[in-house]
Parts: sequence; structure tokens; C-alpha cells
Amino acid sequence: MSYALIVAEVRRGIFEERNLDSIGICAQLGKETAMLLPEGQYSFNEKMVDSIVKVKAGEEVFLNPLNMAAIIGKIAETRGKPDFIVFTHSSSGTEAAAYTAGIFGFPVITDVSGYDKERGVFRKSYYSDKLFGEFKTIGESAAVLTVRSGSFKEFAAEKSAAPNEVSVEDVPVSDSRTFVEYVEEEKTDIDITKADFLLSVGRGVGNKDEIPAYEELAGIMKAVISGSRPVIDKMWLPKARQVGTSGKTVKPKVYLAMGISGAFQHIAGMKDADCIIAINKDAEAPIFQYAHYGIVADMHKVRDALKGILKG
Amino acid sequence: MNILVFTKRVPATQEEELRLISDGKDVDFSKLPFKVNDWDNYAVEEAVKIVEKGGGAVTAVSIGSAESDEVLRRAIAMGAKDGFLVEVDQALHDPFARSALIRNFIQKEGTPFDVIFTGVQSEDDQFASVGGILAALLKLPYVSMVIGIDSVEKDYMIVRRELEGGLQERVRVATPCVVSIQSGINEPRYVSIMGIRKASKVERKSFKGTDYDAGKDAHIELVQWTYPPKKGGAQMLTGELGDVCAKLMEILKEKGVYQ
Amino acid sequence: MLTQESHKALVCIQCGKCTGSCPESGKTLFNIRMLVRKKQFQAVVDESLPWYCTSCGACTIRCPRDVKPSEVIIEMRSALIENGSVPLALQKALENTFVQKNPWGRSRNKRAAWTEKLDFEVPHISETESKRLLFVCCIQAYDPRCMVIPVNVATILHRAGLEFGILGEEEACCGNEIRRVGEFGLFEELQEENIANFKEYGVKEIITLSPHCMNVLKKEYGDLGIKVSHYTELLAPMVKEGAIASKGSYNKKVIYHDPCFLGKQNGIFDQPREILKSVEGIDFLEFSRSRENSMCCEGGGGRMFFEVEATYKRNAEARVEDAISRGAEVIATSCPFCVMTLEDPATEKGLIVKELSEIMMEVL
Repeated sequence: MSYALIVAEVRRGIFEERNLDSIGICAQLGKETAMLLPEGQYSFNEKMVDSIVKVKAGEEVFLNPLNMAAIIGKIAETRGKPDFIVFTHSSSGTEAAAYTAGIFGFPVITDVSGYDKERGVFRKSYYSDKLFGEFKTIGESAAVLTVRSGSFKEFAAEKSAAPNEVSVEDVPVSDSRTFVEYVEEEKTDIDITKADFLLSVGRGVGNKDEIPAYEELAGIMKAVISGSRPVIDKMWLPKARQVGTSGKTVKPKVYLAMGISGAFQHIAGMKDADCIIAINKDAEAPIFQYAHYGIVADMHKVRDALKGILKG
Repeated sequence: MNILVFTKRVPATQEEELRLISDGKDVDFSKLPFKVNDWDNYAVEEAVKIVEKGGGAVTAVSIGSAESDEVLRRAIAMGAKDGFLVEVDQALHDPFARSALIRNFIQKEGTPFDVIFTGVQSEDDQFASVGGILAALLKLPYVSMVIGIDSVEKDYMIVRRELEGGLQERVRVATPCVVSIQSGINEPRYVSIMGIRKASKVERKSFKGTDYDAGKDAHIELVQWTYPPKKGGAQMLTGELGDVCAKLMEILKEKGVYQ
Repeated sequence: MLTQESHKALVCIQCGKCTGSCPESGKTLFNIRMLVRKKQFQAVVDESLPWYCTSCGACTIRCPRDVKPSEVIIEMRSALIENGSVPLALQKALENTFVQKNPWGRSRNKRAAWTEKLDFEVPHISETESKRLLFVCCIQAYDPRCMVIPVNVATILHRAGLEFGILGEEEACCGNEIRRVGEFGLFEELQEENIANFKEYGVKEIITLSPHCMNVLKKEYGDLGIKVSHYTELLAPMVKEGAIASKGSYNKKVIYHDPCFLGKQNGIFDQPREILKSVEGIDFLEFSRSRENSMCCEGGGGRMFFEVEATYKRNAEARVEDAISRGAEVIATSCPFCVMTLEDPATEKGLIVKELSEIMMEVL
């Protein structure tokens, strides 16, 4: 019986909102859904899926791709092969998706952000969203997908009946790879997710000696400084200040993005800000697509002019 | 420790406008400059650092056109002992096909390794899948998004994976294994042009992808390319810098973040 | 192919004239005399020190023994580069130059985008009769603030009826800063590419917009049989002869800042002054540190691409304060790096920085 297996993204007892996109794409694909979860209580609207498959194993076993492949193998044995295996495009999701595809020899398409029902093609980003590639799977086997956050959740809808529940037991646990512990990032006194006004600097800041002047401006404006990945990779700002998928997701009243081009991973971390103001030298910078207001200018000049106005 | 690192030559697209040709079937690469894939650069640096500290050798491998020799020379200039080019004349879009080719190459050539490093993803297709598929095909354990290698022991490694929201997880993985390296794990050293010229003296062996059934295991096919949909876009503030800043301050006052 | 100047550290008598002239000495740990001494004894030098040099050239010009201390610095930097210990920001600039032939990493394909702001076509150099090349320069091709300079100069030359062409996307970074930071291999690559293009198109004359480009094309590209000049060298006589009609007036107190690569290193002091003084209404002021003694803005030596640990007051800030204390309203200069480094403190203190061509365009 045809169905899509959704591998839920969970972490420390939280059911991630991104799972709605997995549910949404299955609605577009017109497939019955079975959501796979580990042991434990997870709060989400269960009526969004047709069945729930609970694995008798904890999160840490579940999130290990080596075990996930074994779990999926068991499900295929008992329930039949799924037509699709859907993961979220996330750190653990993409890891498990690729490995699973390799184990079973299934096609895999990651970071899917669109699906054309008529033509049966999946759209996936290339060159940081400058182009999209449209792909078809070859052959009749199941296909593994990872879904881009925000792309399909509008299609997630409640079913008329409550889901049935099955469980998977006797899951073999690999000892080749094991979870040791979580590592929290160093506690700093600033939590950028709590700030109302973020002044965020990107690659355009040029070098770390420019940062103090931005910190000064942020101080005067009562904004909190944050940054995009390139600035944190170069260690010009601490990791706690990073906005983006591998940093923090923020929803301030105002997000002032200076010298940030607008790579998708960054946008994902701030697109829900009430007001996004982007300043960039490059009029073609993708961030202008997501911002509410834009200024094409050298960020340093704007910084200095603002300082002049505010101090004088 | 013998580390096999995969490195890819990709177009430098950050500042470029990309054009589609042949009715959307091809991308116009004719005027694009090329560079080493950023993630692979971090991977090569990490591999070199490990062998500098604990002994062993790094072998760089590149799957691509003949020009991919550039990224092999760069890896050698950074400290890799040698480089292998597996030449394919057409890009293999399907990560499965690429992984299968690598698996065939490694098994046929009997290339020795303790660990295989890949970058988390490549800047062009951003599939982030070759590492995982390859590990599965080689029946090796896999860890991706590795942001730190805490220790390298005789038959296992302790690594840290990057999760969302600044969280990391520490994982123990047995070797041999496949590891996908995340950007920011280290600070890659600078490679000077002289250094790359010196690296040219080290032999890079060339192999033909067709000898390893390149492309035979494709599971997906590229139908065509499209341009991204244009979004609404920002309201642009224009004029003299002083006026623009004044307008900006007005917006901030309006939003209630500045009095 | 590389006309490398070698230093003569061994003949240094440690008189200290170099350190006395150096814009970095006293304020920072950088002491050029001491570094030459260390070179004499092959002693270990702290890795951070060689990066302070701004390549102003004062030490080399004043040295009584022709030691060429600036070349000592370049050699030290070169050794650090081959070792891989390069400031991270500089690494990026060098890698960008390798890929896109400009340190900012901007698309090579957009190097001629500035011409879209003109109301006339600029031909490719191959299409000109005079084979007079306008060498644009990286920062002026891409940076919005500096892009006005080629637009202005092209317009002025066009109105004066002087034929010229550009290389457009084929122009590669001149390599002046690249050689100053010690990346000889990369400098050679750029030099080879540019020279091949000069030869292919039969270039006879080069007009540069940046004194840095002029310096390296004139003195370090070997004997190409091509006349290289800075645009002010052409404009000054044209202004004198009245070939460029000026109608308006610029009623401001303007102080002129001599760029190191134009002034002290290449002896071009009078032409920019003649151009400014010919403008109606200008109240022309001079710094006491002018001409050969001009204060380096600290934008050279690759320092546009990276920063050094510095807790001192920057020269640019001191220069702006000096200008204000002399009653200037505008600092005029003829180098894009001086414009950029002076403008940061100037904007904060309410002073305006103008490149010469900007003032000219206001009165034409």
C-alpha cells in the first residue's frame, strides 16, 4: 500500500516545527503519511498524519543514521516499502537521508523547496539560490527527500480521523557510532533571540577592526550586535551572536542587516523579523528580496553617517 | 593515520549573474572563474593538521574535468602527499552516481585509508549527500556536520557535530569511517602561488572515470534549470547619505526601537 | 621577467633616518631600523611586525646608503606568506585576486560596469587609433564611492577630445599592493596577464587613475616601451592651455593632501596643485607636512585589505584634525586609497573629502 514515511526531526523532547514541511510535501505528493518517532512524549497535532510509528528506542539511538537505516529496514519489512522517505533538511535529517539512500540504493534529493505535481519534478536550489535544478527520480524504487524549512508547511492539514499507532521493537543498535553528550555553547550574557533590535554585520564588514565601530553604533542605537556565518567563522564575533540555521533564529522588531548578502541559511534565521532593513553595496544582493527596506550603500559610510547624526 | 580527502573544483558564483543556455538545459560557465569548494578546503586543512600532529599522510582525490588538477595542486601545497584525478567529461549531477564512482574507484584501486573526509556539501549543487551515500556503499560508519575533532585514537575518533541553534553533540565513531567536515572547523592556511607552483612538481595521477563505470548508477536525472521566482522586494531608500540615514532613523522610531 | 629590487641590508649603518621618517614608528611597535638590523643578523622577527608597513617609501627615499628598507619588509612578508602565516583578511584579498583578479573578489565580468554611468561609449583599446589605455584600477571599478573617479576622468578626457580605450573585463589588478605584501608569485601572474594584453593590443600609452597603478606599471613592469602617466599629468597642461573649459566656481577652502605613491615616490606634486589652483573660487590651503613630507594616510602596503593591532590614533584622523585646524572645508587628494582612508574620520568630524576629478566636474 503506497505511503510516505516521515522521519520526524526531534531534539531533546522537542518536535521541530520544520516537520510541518515534511507533512506538507506529502500532501502535495498525495501520499498517506506515517510519522516515525522515538520513545517519549512529543507535542504536535497528531491528526496531521495518517499513522504514527513509535520506535522503542530513545532519541539518541533514533538520531543515529546507522540505526535509522536499520529502523527503516524493519518498517519496510512489516509495512511494505514506502514510496517516499521524508526528512527535514537539517543537520541530523540530511545526514540520515544520505546514509539511508546509500544503504537501500534509493534516489535522494535534498533541500527540496518545490514540487511540480503536473510534471512530477522536484525543485532544488543550486548556487545558493541563484538557480534551481528540476529533478525526476529514475526507476520505481522509493525516493528519499529532505525538505527545506518553510517550503511546504502551508499544505499541512488535519485529517478527518485520528492516526493509528504502531510500534517498532527490537531495533539493532550500532556500536560503530555512539552518542556521547550534548555540548552547549558557552554562556554569554547576551541572548540575541531576546533582543528587540538587532544590528547584524556580514561579510561586507571586511575586517575585525571595523567591528568596534559597529559595537559603538549599536550601543548608541540601543541595538544588540549579531552577525552572519562568515563573521563568526572568522571569529570576529562570538558564536552566540550568529544568526542563521547553524546559529540562532531571531524574530526582533527590527533587523538591521549591514553587509549581509542574504544567503538562504542566514535568511532562514531572521526572515520572520517584523522589519528587515538591509544595507549592501551590491544592488543585486539577494537580501533585498527579503527585506522590507533597502539601502544600496557602503555599510561603513552609513555607520559613520549614523554615528555623526546620533552623536552630534 | 592515512586520510583520503575529496576536493572539488567549483565555479565562483557569489558575485555573478548566472545565465541559462540551451533552453534551460545548461548553465553558461564560459565566463565564470573557478575555485576550490570552500568546505573541501576546510577538510583538506583538517586532514593535514591531523597528520602533522600524529603522523600519516593525506591523499587528495578530485572527481571532475581535467582542470580539477588545480584543486589537487592546492591540496598538495597545503600538505597532502599526493593527488588523484578521476576524470569525468560531464558533470555527474546525481550524488548517488558520484558516490558510486568513488566507491568503484577506491575498491578497484585498493586505495588504503583510515578515514575518508569530504566537505559537508559543495558550493554548486549543495546536495550534502556524497559523504553519507559513500559511507553506506562502503559499509562504513558516517558522521556529518563535523565542527571539531576532539581526539584521534587507534580505532576510533571523538568528534563534535554541529546541530541547530548553536548546540553541538559529541559523538564517538569507529575508524575506518567517513566524515563530512563543516566550514569553520579551522582556519585554512594560505596557499601562495609559489607554493602551488612547487606542488606542480608532485605527480598527480590521472584516471578515467569511464574505467569505473562513471554515471552508471544514476538514480535521479536533471530535467532542466530554472531561475528563482522573484520575490516582492524591498522598498529602497534613495538619495543623499544624510537624507537616507534620517529616513532610516524615522523607521526605527516608528517601529519603537529608538526614541 | 620580474624586475625585483633587492635590498642591501648589509650596508646599513643604523643611522635611524628610516625610523625617523616612518609613519608607523613611535606609535606602534614597528621600528624599521631595528628590522633591518635583524635582517643583517638573520634574527627572528615577531610575525606581526612586518605587516605594519604602509609602503609609503619614505625610508627608502631618505636612506643615505641605498639600503631600500621597504624591500627588506617585502622580503620578510614574502617569507611569512610562503610559511602560511598571513593575516586572515589579507588571505581573503589574495585569494580573491587569484580568482577574480581584484582583491575585493568582485566579479571580473563586471569590471567595466562603471561605463554604464557614462553618456557616451568607451571603446575597447583595440578599437582605438591612439592605443591610449585608461587603466581603471580595482577599487575604482567596483567600489561605489570610488566609481565616480573613472566616470569623471573619462568624461573630462572625452570632452577634451582625447581618445582613449579600456581593457574592460580583461584588465587585471596591477599588482602594486600584491607585490608590497610579498606575494611574488601572484604578482607575476597579474603582471604576465596585463603585459600579454598590452602587447596583444599594441598599447602605446597608459593613463592611470590610481598612483598605485602608475607606480607599478611605470617602474616594476619592466621596459615595455609604453609611456605611463597619472591622469593629473595630462590634465594639468590641458587646463593651462584652456583645453578644458571651466565655467563654474568652487567657493571652498580646499587643502591638498599629497598621496605617497604620487608625490614622494614619483615626484608629481605640481600638476595636482595647478589643476586645483586653476579652479575659480578655491581658497587653496597647504598642510605644513606637504609634498615630500606629506603624512602617509596608511592606506598602502596592503593595509586596505587587513588591519593591524592598533590602539593609536590613526594618521588619517590626525590629518583630518590638522585640516580642520587650518580652516579647511574640503580635503582634496588624487589617490583612491587616500580618499577611502581619509573619508572615514572626515565623515565623523564633518569634513568633506574630494578626489580631484570630483572638484573638476563641479566646475566644468
